[in-house]
Parts: sequence; structure tokens; C-alpha cells
Amino acid sequence: MDFTLPESAQAVQRGIAAVCARYDMDYWQRCEAEKRWPEEVWAELAKGGWLGLAVPEEYGGGGQGLLELTVATEALSASGAAGGSAFTYVLTPGFGALTLARHGSPEQRAALLPGLAAGEVETCFALTEPDAGSNALAISTSARADGAEYVINGQKIWITGVQRATWMLLVTRTIPAAEAKPRTNGLTVFLVNVPEAVAAGQLSYRPIPKMGANTTPSNMVFFDDLRVPATSVIGEVHAGAVVLWDILNPERVLLAASALGGAEVALRVGVAYAKEREVFGRAIGSNQAIAFPLARVKARIELARLTLYKAAWLFDRGLPCGTEANIAKLAASEAAWEAADAAFQTHGGMAYSLEYPVARLLTEARIGKVAPVTEELLLNYLATQVLGLPRSF
Amino acid sequence: MNIVVCVKQVPDTATERKLRSDDKTLDRDAADGVINELCEYAVEEALRLKEAHGGEVTVLTMGPDKATDTIRKALAMGADKAVHLVDPALHGSDALSTSYALAQTLKKIGFDLVILGSESTDARTGMLAAMLAERLGTPQLTLANKVEISGAGITVQRVTDYGFDKVEASLPAIVSVVEKINEPRYPSFKGIMAAKKKQVQTFGIADAEIDAAQVGVANAWSEVADFAVAPPRAAGTVVKDEGDGGVKTADYLASKKFI
Repeated sequence: MDFTLPESAQAVQRGIAAVCARYDMDYWQRCEAEKRWPEEVWAELAKGGWLGLAVPEEYGGGGQGLLELTVATEALSASGAAGGSAFTYVLTPGFGALTLARHGSPEQRAALLPGLAAGEVETCFALTEPDAGSNALAISTSARADGAEYVINGQKIWITGVQRATWMLLVTRTIPAAEAKPRTNGLTVFLVNVPEAVAAGQLSYRPIPKMGANTTPSNMVFFDDLRVPATSVIGEVHAGAVVLWDILNPERVLLAASALGGAEVALRVGVAYAKEREVFGRAIGSNQAIAFPLARVKARIELARLTLYKAAWLFDRGLPCGTEANIAKLAASEAAWEAADAAFQTHGGMAYSLEYPVARLLTEARIGKVAPVTEELLLNYLATQVLGLPRSF
Repeated sequence: MNIVVCVKQVPDTATERKLRSDDKTLDRDAADGVINELCEYAVEEALRLKEAHGGEVTVLTMGPDKATDTIRKALAMGADKAVHLVDPALHGSDALSTSYALAQTLKKIGFDLVILGSESTDARTGMLAAMLAERLGTPQLTLANKVEISGAGITVQRVTDYGFDKVEASLPAIVSVVEKINEPRYPSFKGIMAAKKKQVQTFGIADAEIDAAQVGVANAWSEVADFAVAPPRAAGTVVKDEGDGGVKTADYLASKKFI
């Protein structure tokens, strides 16, 4: 067994870290406080080819897979972006590039992938609805065939990055959930040109005020007789579940990577403070009550990373990775939360001051326990799908 | 145009730097090695000149085995190939003998233009460019914040205390650059991957016809007589403001000849 990362992944680790080295924790603090997209980092990532890692080389990309995206997300997050802000990276290199590279038609690939590789075109992903979050198969946004077009109506919630996206990967029902047999049947994924749909008055969105991850807004999105050509279907009509799993598993993996990077930042911040802060004449880190929680976080981070990289490795080989992706997501978001909490406790009262990064790290870590999937659902998957326990719902 | 960029690996300034107790040279194993920051500007300038005028950029490094990392970094930025001068006999060479070793190597590999950072963050002598020019019999154009090539001529803007001088020379020449000259690019993903396959030629002292009696710690013209750990910072003078804080501060600064 060889635990050495492939050279491509090592290159990603070093390359992203070099870019991010010029943008410190204060930079990410300011982006969050000003609720602004990290334009400077983004431009550098685009220039270096880091946004197009998963785009095939023939379209100008790096020709890499989920493992390299995972390492990239983790490095970006660990540099100071932390969980929520690193999500910026998942939207286009993950949702857009990875999905179209795998499932896009030749025309879709030719039209979109070069722009995605160059970082000129961005994407977002729309699945969840006010009445269908955890129960994603129950979505009701409908797509009805009308000649060479589809007409889409419905509403989505928690759709992040719509403002910058040229293209939205939109999950709809072409067969209503109640009539679909099995329930996974009748899903269809569309590519929607966001600016055009907005200009036509067929798509509108409203940002949701939120407690963190404000570098990129999350939105309510409304579709009102949105007309899209039939050629904009990704994969097959009614068979969108195949595409969907290939979005959701990488999403779990990449958000686990983002959480893991957040855990690494929080641990770094906590350890630095524990070494430097003196109370009763000695560094507080010499007290085991402070040291042990930090040490435990270190163990959790290393354990989570093993399953995370394994999940990405499986995905890249076309092997089933659902179990590993779910375990990685669970372990990484727990590590992130525990790390942020330990950093918080280590900082004592100063943690509550917004002049320190701890409050932001705590907020960023908390979202990982419920998004893009709740811990309860992850545990449910393991209980029913892996352990074969009876379903409760 | 054949451009050679001299690149040095230095201890990371963020880590604690140490001297060895045995021969009083820098302990290069004790700290992480990174590319000297000013060398990145030199590489960037070489790449820009190549992009504008064509040619080839070769990285030249003298240093221990682990300096390979620094060579790869320069190659990842876009340099075409590298020469690594590595030999135990070179250990502890001072600026004078380093300039001799590099000059011998440059004679072997040939050049139209040699670009260096104006100094390194470890030794900070800033003398290498001048020494190389003297040894190679070429013009030296140091402390450049702008470089222009036209035909066989080179013009640089040389930073001075009072502004800048415009210095012209003919190629081949030696140029050293300051950090104002450009903004070094980050290695791209494709650059890093391609760097692994680029040619790195290894030279020992025999390959470069370097006389062992002129290099290394034993033959250095400068010597570290002694060294000690920097003393902890002494407590400062506290000036208590009793309505006359400004006067006291001014008196203190005047007593230290700051004002």
C-alpha cells in the first residue's frame, strides 16, 4: 500500500498553497465582513489553471479528477478561507467541470468546458427546494416537453452562486415524484443559461441573509415558464438520477475537503494561541485541559483525511464511493466543528471578539454539519444502506 | 537569446536560521529551503524577455542536493532547463569563490544574458553580479528595475538613492534585478507538471573545470570568526507622559541622534 499522493495531487497542493500564501487570514476575514467574492484569489486560480483541473486536456483543462479537486479544495480552505468560503471552489470546478466532463453531450462539452477551464465561465447547481431538502427525490420543480423545448416551473432554495453563474445545473422532475417508479426515475437535469433566463423574465432569485459563508450568496430561485431547448438536457431525460449521484457524491467529498481544511485552520489558530498566550506564568497550552482537545482534533483530522482521499480515489476509478463519501463528510464536518470549538475554548473570552478569526471559523464549521446534507442523513445512509438496519422512513 | 538565471536556495526566513558549530557555515539542513525571493523576480524577468524576444531560459543553481526543489520551482514558472552545480567541495564557498564557480560553469554552458536577484536573504552580500561580470569580462548592469533589449544592446534602469540611472551596454552582459522590476508569476498547474520532465543537468567541479583549491570553506577569503545567539531584547525605556511626553520623546530621540 502506497500512501504517497500522485504527483498531480502534490502539484495541486503546492500550487494552490503558493497562490494562497499571499492571502492571509485577514484577507478572508475582510471578504466575509464585506460580503464579497475573493476576486483576487479567484483571478490567480484562473490564471494558473487551478479552476480547470477536472476539465479534460483537449478542452484546455488539467485532465485531472476528483482527487486533485479534493486536494485543491482542502488547500484553499486550509489557507484561511475555511469551510464556507472554500465552497466558492466547489461551484464551478466541481459542479460544472466535473459533471460536464462526465455527462455532457459533445456539444455541451465543446461549448462550456473551454470557458470553465479558463475560469471565464462559472456554474451553480440547483436541487433543493423549500419542501425537498433532505428528501431530494421529492422535488416538485417540473419540466414539461413542448416541441423542441422544455417549460420549467417551480422554486429552489439555498442555491449558492447564482449571481456569478452563467450556467445553472438544474434538477427537475419530468415525471412527478408521486408517479415515479422507482422514485429515482423521472428526474432530468438541465443546463440553464442564467443571464438569458433572467433577461427573459423566466428566472428570478433573491439572496437569503445568512450567518456565514457570505463570500458567495445563497438564494431562493424562482422559475416561471422558463423555456430551455431540449438539447440542454445533461444525460438522458427521466434518467437524471445517474447524473445527480455523480454530482452529489463529489459534492460530499469536496465539502468534506472544505470542512477538513477549515479544521486545519482552526487547529493552527488554536495551537498558535495556546503556545503564545500565558496565564499563571506559563503558556496555556502546557495545561492538558487545553492541549488534549487540540491533540484530539489532530487525530480526527488525520482520520477524516484518509477516508476522504479514499472516496475521491474510488470515484476517479469509477468504483462505488457512496459509503466512503458519506463517512468522509461525517468525519470531516465533525472534525471541523470540534476544531473550531477547541480553538474557541483555547481563546477564552477573546474568541468572542471579531478581531480574532475564531468566531468566523466556528460559523463556517457549523454549516458543515447540516449542508449539503445533514449528519442525520449521513448516519441514516450508513445505518440502512451499509449496515442493513430497517428504514425508519 | 540564451538567458541564464542564477537562482539560489536559501533557508526559509520564517524559520529559525542557524550556523553550524563545526565550520561556522550556514546549517542548510536545519531549515526548510526556499527559492530566494529576489531570484523569483530574476526568473520572471528572464521569462518576459524570452516571451518578447524568443530564446531559451536556463536556470543555474549552485547548492546541495536539496536545491533541486528550488530548481523545479523555477522550471515550474516556465524556465526551459536547468544546470545544477553540486559538489561537496563547494560547501562553505564564500561570495568570491561562489562567483568563481558560477563563472566557470557559465563559460561551459554559454550565455547572452545572465540575470540574478540583487542579493540573497541569507548572506545578503549583493556582490555576486559584479564579481561575475569581472570574472567573465562582461558589462555589469546592477540593481535594475527595468530591462530592455534591442538587437545586441541592453538598457536598464538602475535604481539609485536619488532616482535612477539609465545604463546601456552590449550583450553578453550580467544584470541584477530589484523587486520593483515585476510581479513574479505563480507556477501554473501545467507548469508544475511540465517541470518534472524538464532537463536538469548536474555539474560537479570537474565538469565545470573548477579548481578545488579555489572553492569551499577552507579556501574562502572571508571567514566567520565567531558567532553567538542574538541576545534577548532588553527592556525599553518607558517615557511617562506627565504633560511633557512630547518633549521627553524628542529629547530621547535627540540623545540617540535620530533627530
